[in-house]
Amino acid sequence: MADAAPLSTSLRRGTLEFCVLALVEREDRYGTELVRRLGDEPNLAASEGTIYPLLSRLRRVGWLDSKWSESPSGPPRRYYGLTPAGRAALEHFRSEWVSFRQTVDRLVGTGEVA
Amino acid sequence: MKIKNTDVVAEYLHEVDLRLTGLPVLQRRELLADLAAHIATERTERNIQTEGELIEVLEKLGAPEVVANAAYEEAGTRPPRPVPKQRRNWLPAAIAAGAVALVLVVCGFFAFFAMATGHDGPPRPVHVVPGPR
Repeated sequence: MADAAPLSTSLRRGTLEFCVLALVEREDRYGTELVRRLGDEPNLAASEGTIYPLLSRLRRVGWLDSKWSESPSGPPRRYYGLTPAGRAALEHFRSEWVSFRQTVDRLVGTGEVA
Repeated sequence: MKIKNTDVVAEYLHEVDLRLTGLPVLQRRELLADLAAHIATERTERNIQTEGELIEVLEKLGAPEVVANAAYEEAGTRPPRPVPKQRRNWLPAAIAAGAVALVLVVCGFFAFFAMATGHDGPPRPVHVVPGPR
């Protein structure tokens, strides 16, 4: 159990950002919405505040864009959307992930036919 | 009560800000604005009334050092002061100790070979010298 946290941290590193990209693939979402959505997933659970620096980096590398907009009830929201470069990065991850997952399954013995 | 709630938030944001001095100013402002907007949204959408509920929102965001460390990690830089300073003090000492050890080992080798050749050395001239005679 003591090893569970470092392992999930390592697994999350490098994959969480593509989960974020996928969440805004079809529609723009605001920060708090993304944070809540990720927080609902037990395997991704991390301090909510760590998602904002990630969103910032994805915006700086040009995979997300963002715009502030007034909300009907309450404070302004910052909406995030996928850029064409972000969409390409997500597609690339999808194909890489499938072959990566298959390799790990085969070597570790977690595949269905293992 | 409302003023007190704001104090808790301001204190939290200040604690985060204190730990972000190594980040570019705009990234620092951006993160604080994002966190402030998150807290304001949670307050409104979850209809938060008490300080206890507000503290729960802050706890879910994470401790200021956790949030700040994530910011440094995503920015590809390291936090400025506390940990590196101690390491910097350790590093020269470790290098000096390593150099001293290396010198000792090298001297040891030279001493060993000097002694080894010292034993082999003298007999040769002794053999060589009688030859010409």
